This record gives sequence, structure tokens and C-alpha cells, in this order.
Amino acid sequence: MRFTFTKEQEKFRQEVRDFLQAELKAGTFVTKSGGLAEGNNQEFSKKMAQRGWIGMTWPKEYGGQGRTYVEKAILIEELFKVQAPVAYHFLADRQIGPAIIHFGSEWQKEYFLPRFVRADDNVKFCLLFSEPNAGSDLVNVSTSAKKEGEYYVIRGQKVWTSGGHQADYGWLLARTCFDPNVPRHESCSQFILDMRTPGVTVRPIINMAGYHTFNEVFLEDVRIHQKYMVGKENEAFKQIMAQMDYERAGMERLLQNYPVYEKLLSHVRQMKETRKNDPFYYWVKDAVAQLEIEFNIGRLLCYYTAWTIDQGRRPTSEAAMAKAYCNLYEQRLNDLATKVLGPASLIREGTPWTLYNGEIADCYLWSPSYTLQGGSVEILKNIVALRRLELPRR
Amino acid sequence: MEFSLKEETKMLQSNAEKFFKEKCPSSFVKSMLQDERGYSPELWKEMADLGWLGLTYEEKFGGSGGDFFDLFILFEEMGKALFPSPFYASCFWAGFLIKECADEEIKNSLLPSILKGEKILTIGLRNEQGIYDHKNPTLKTQENKGHSYTLAGVRLFVPYAQVAEEVLVVAQVKNEGPTLFRVKKEREGLKHTFLNTITKEKTFALTLERVKVGQEDILGTLGKGADLVEKVMPKAVALKCAEMVGGLFRVLHMTVDYMKQRVQFGRPLGALQVVQHYCVDIATLLDTCRLIAYQAASLLSEGIPCPKEVAMAKAWCSDAYKRATQIAHQLHGGIGFTDEHDLHLYYKHAKACEMEFGDSWWHRQKVAEEMGL
Repeated sequence: MRFTFTKEQEKFRQEVRDFLQAELKAGTFVTKSGGLAEGNNQEFSKKMAQRGWIGMTWPKEYGGQGRTYVEKAILIEELFKVQAPVAYHFLADRQIGPAIIHFGSEWQKEYFLPRFVRADDNVKFCLLFSEPNAGSDLVNVSTSAKKEGEYYVIRGQKVWTSGGHQADYGWLLARTCFDPNVPRHESCSQFILDMRTPGVTVRPIINMAGYHTFNEVFLEDVRIHQKYMVGKENEAFKQIMAQMDYERAGMERLLQNYPVYEKLLSHVRQMKETRKNDPFYYWVKDAVAQLEIEFNIGRLLCYYTAWTIDQGRRPTSEAAMAKAYCNLYEQRLNDLATKVLGPASLIREGTPWTLYNGEIADCYLWSPSYTLQGGSVEILKNIVALRRLELPRR
Repeated sequence: MEFSLKEETKMLQSNAEKFFKEKCPSSFVKSMLQDERGYSPELWKEMADLGWLGLTYEEKFGGSGGDFFDLFILFEEMGKALFPSPFYASCFWAGFLIKECADEEIKNSLLPSILKGEKILTIGLRNEQGIYDHKNPTLKTQENKGHSYTLAGVRLFVPYAQVAEEVLVVAQVKNEGPTLFRVKKEREGLKHTFLNTITKEKTFALTLERVKVGQEDILGTLGKGADLVEKVMPKAVALKCAEMVGGLFRVLHMTVDYMKQRVQFGRPLGALQVVQHYCVDIATLLDTCRLIAYQAASLLSEGIPCPKEVAMAKAWCSDAYKRATQIAHQLHGGIGFTDEHDLHLYYKHAKACEMEFGDSWWHRQKVAEEMGL
């Protein structure tokens, strides 16, 4: 049991920090919450690639660095504290690459992985999982992939496709077995879809915060060559379950709004100077201390999950629990920030009298999405209940 | 970051788990509530022989030379079983206070018999409200001729006062400050009264009516008693958290097991999603308590100052353990509300732990202080 970092780990953290401070100074990006949604910057990704920070946990034979997930967590922690623009390579690094390593063909490994770790052109991915009738109940997907010679022909509709309008590739889930006697979770396959293929139409959906980050994607007779199918036919769900563990495992779930936390703290420190004896300040002090405790616990849960992976275990229930906890923390953070900063915190960007350029208002509006994306809190609790506590399904 | 236990610690953990499972079933815990002594001298002796009473003490005093983290793990196991014993009062509090005061002669005369379990000491550090008041004790002294003192006042929540040979108290000495005294049980004017608290554990009020002590009864330096207690306090808080983590562990398992067995609406209750989510809430409370408490214990064990981490642990565990017992009661239904069931032992334990050393609000204030607020 050790809750401190090794010298090498501290050195690595410092290296990442120095790089980010230099980039901030050079004006490559500014620190504002929501970096993951908006920071699509291939040049920045290339700089990270040069340092070996994309695919750093992957085996060396695939262009990775063979480093630990704890080190990766350190990297993610530093990147997200300043909201570095990592969106271009983020999905490829976090889950597409690991999925290809686990389930992909030799061709797919040789073709995609080196491009990912170099942050070459065409690395930006989106996930084509959810459908109008398959949200939490993902096995209900109805998009079909019918085999015609060496091709699969795709028909259907996907939705909530984050970054779909910028993506070069989509990671697609579609039905490949149509026998009603075969269970639904043994009827689907995964494909890598070039988003420029004829028949792919991406339409924006504007979210309640007023931003365009997700989309609906229409697939009309889209032809995918069979070499783009990932893993075995009809085994998509086995593969997705493993992939999701990695999607959920990361520190980013705790730090999407870290700049809000820093602003809140600096505001409260100012309050101490001017309103120390105000009863409101007593309440604020208590509430912020509670948040600080929750933040620390969230951080430990994330490191614990990373460590679990380093032990060679699949972090199914650890990652589910960590994500549920961190999502709820982030919602409380944004709510508390508005309460402490007051009504002016609701004035949005571009309006006079706005606070922090509307960042708090934005984050409050983003909040409901956290407990939904990447598995709702309820789905995550189901996973812990069934997998770890072994409670009965029926 | 390293979340696995050392091999020796793992061994201690599994031995302790086995020991308490076998020797301290809930029937034993309940019988000890009726017992005059409130602990089993046989088990106490066995634990001494296993080297557990002297786990973190130097070998020259008869200790086993383990580190503080080992003691934390042992407390977690005692917490699971709610093992009733004077361990906390005698082998931790009194022993650690004696260890902190530099006098080798006193250490040599007291520690070996404490660690062998032959002698039980206790502490009286809490005032009439049950608050630790070592910084400004309501226990007063009067200095007599020939450097002797007369103590007067009341101490509450003195564990195992009925069997203790000595009680260590901090009393205010005029012009000098709070001072740590040994008060032997045969002193005149000393009286203990059982406190019938919600846990029914063996804890007492101690009234000191003109109790005479000498200069040789001062532990450490005159006027420096509060500092001694402060040195031990972070560890005391961490061990309380260990007990809470242990208790929470049992609450989770007790509840999940029952939810698998209890059939309603034609299926196990545990198949209902609302019930599953409650169970996951308890599991989350357990894991989060464990991480934040282990963090504090591990830093303390390495000698790294960590007032913020200790305060975070106590603040979080206090609320979490209590909340877990509340959910567990809701899930158990009527059966959990009976005296016969074991759940209420943990419900009561959680509340008592919450109230000792300050509740979550109190510790959040400390966290805020450490944050510069």
C-alpha cells in the first residue's frame, strides 16, 4: 500500500506539466472547461505523438511504449487539468487502439495502429453505437449489415454521435445475424467505417447548452469491405463489453470541469479576505471542503482502476463504479459553483457582466450529459450489482 | 500508487479475519454486552501470545515491531467483528501515550505488562459533553505542598474503567498548562459509573473527587500533556476509520447475502433493480471509505504528516458508514429492527464512531483550514 508516486512517475508528471505550460505560453490553447468536446487540434496531437504519449500503454510491437496505466492516468490528469486539446486522437488512443490490439486482424493492426501513434491524417474516430431505439438497451440495435460478396451493406440510423461531423472513421455496431432464434447479443458485429463512404449522411443535433458536438448519422446502402470488420462476426457484444471498461476507466471523467473547480476555489479564497464572518461564507467553506473530499476520493478511484488494469485484471466493476462516482461529483461541482458565485454566473459568454466568460453557465448546462454518456449511472450500477455483488438477474 | 498489501500484512489480515470469525461471532459480541468485564481474558491472552497487542511496539518492550499500517489492518478486522476488548484504550491509546513520553523507566515498567495483556490501562480524555478536551481540560488540579496535586472533575466515555489498573487523564495545571497524569485505581476519590449508551459497550463516567497524585505520576513534561495527546490523535482517528471500514464491510455483506435469500414477489429481492442499486450504493461507500482511510493510514505509517488526509478520511467515513447502515436497515425491513438480528449492532457502532473525535462537519472544517479557507 503506497499512496505516493515513485520518483520516475513524479519526473514524468513534471515532464508533462512543462510541456503543457510551454504550449499554454505559446498560445496553442487556452484553459477552458469542455476541452474534450472542442479541442480538435491535430498539430497538438502530433506534438504529443512525438513524445510517445499516444498509445503509451500499448505493446512496443504496435508502436506503443509499454507503459503502465497508472502513468497514463498521470498523463490524463495533467492534460485535463489544463483542458489540453486532445480530441483529435482521444478516442483512437483510449479505446479504438486497445480494441484493435485485442480483436483486430493483422492488417488492421498494421494499418491503423502506427497511424494512431503518429497522429497522422484520418485518425479522428466517432462511435456509431446508439440508435433511436437502442440507447441503454444497446443490444436492440437494428442497423443491419448484410453480406454481399466481399462487402457488407449497411442500412440504418445512429444517434448521439459525438464528433461525427469531424470524424474520419466511425466505429460501427450493426446487426449481422437476422435469425430470430439467436439471442440479440450474439447477432451483432463491429466495423470500421470510413465516414466519406457514399451513403453516409451526418446531421447536426444542437444540445441544450447550445453546442453542436453530437449528431445523427444516416447509413443508406453503405458498402464496407469485409476487411474492416473487427474481430469475429456476431461477437460484437463480447468485444464491446471489454472496450467499454477502458472507455470508462479514465481520469477524464473526473476532470472535465476542473477549471471550474479552480475558479471556485480562487473565488472562495477571495471571499475569505472580504466576507470571513459572513454566515454565507461558513456554509461555503463546508460545502467546498466536502467537494474537495469528493474530488480526492474520485481521484483515488481512478488511480485504483488504472492500477487494477496494470495488475492484468479487467476493471469492469472498478471502472463502472469510478465513472458513476465521478460523473455525480462533476454535477455537484457545477451546481455548487453557480450557488457560490451567484446569479451572475448564469450569464453566458459574450454578454457584459458575465463571470469567467460564461464558463460556469456552460458547465452547468453540460452537466446532465455526464451521467448519461458512456453508460448511464443506472447501467453502471447494474454492472456492479451483477458482476461484483453477484446479485441475481431475476 | 500501490494498492496491494505487503505479504506480511496480507498474512496478518487473513489470520485476523479467521481468528475473529471463529472466536467472535455476533453471539459472543452480544454476550459480552451482558458481561461484567465486557471482554474475554482468554481471547485477550491469545491475542497477546499472537503478538497482536504489541503489534507496533519495539521488541525490547515485548512488541512485534510491525508498522502502523499493520495495526490499521488489525483494527479493520476487529471492526468487522465488532470485537469487544480494551485494545483501543489500553494497547493503543495508553500505550502510544507512554511511548511518546520520553521516560525510559516508565516505558520499561508499563509497556511489557500492557503488551502481554496482564495490565489494562485506559484513558479519560473526554469532558462532560463527551468531547476530547485535552487542549483545555475541565479537569482541574490544585498544587499541594511537596509537589503533589489534587485532581477534581469528571471524565466521560472512559473505556473499560471497571477493569483498568490506571487511567491516563489530562488535567489543567495552573500557570503550566494541560498535563498528562497517571491515576491508579486505588486512589481515593475515584469513582466509575457505567454509561448506558446506545451501543451498551463498556464505557464509564469517571468522577475524580479530590484525588491525590504525585509528581512521579506526571507523564512527559509538566504543561505538555496536550502536545502528547495531539501526537497520538491522528493515529487514533485513523484507527477509528479502520473500525468503520470493517463495520461497513460487514454491513455490505450481511445485506447482499440477505437480498439474495429473501424472496418476495416470487423472486429474490436482490433481483429488483432498486434493491441492486441500493446495494451498489453501499459497495461504493465501502470502497471510497477504504481508499480514503487507507491513504491516511499509509501516510501516517510512513511518517508523512497528513492532517488533511486524516480529516478527509474521518469526515467521509463518518457519513458513509452511517448512511450504509441506514440503507441496510431499509433493505432488511422489520427483521433488521429486532434485537435478535445483528444489524443494529452496526447501526449503533456507526453512530458512536461518527460522534467520536468530531463528526463530518467538524472534520470538514479542518479540511477547509488545510486548504487555506
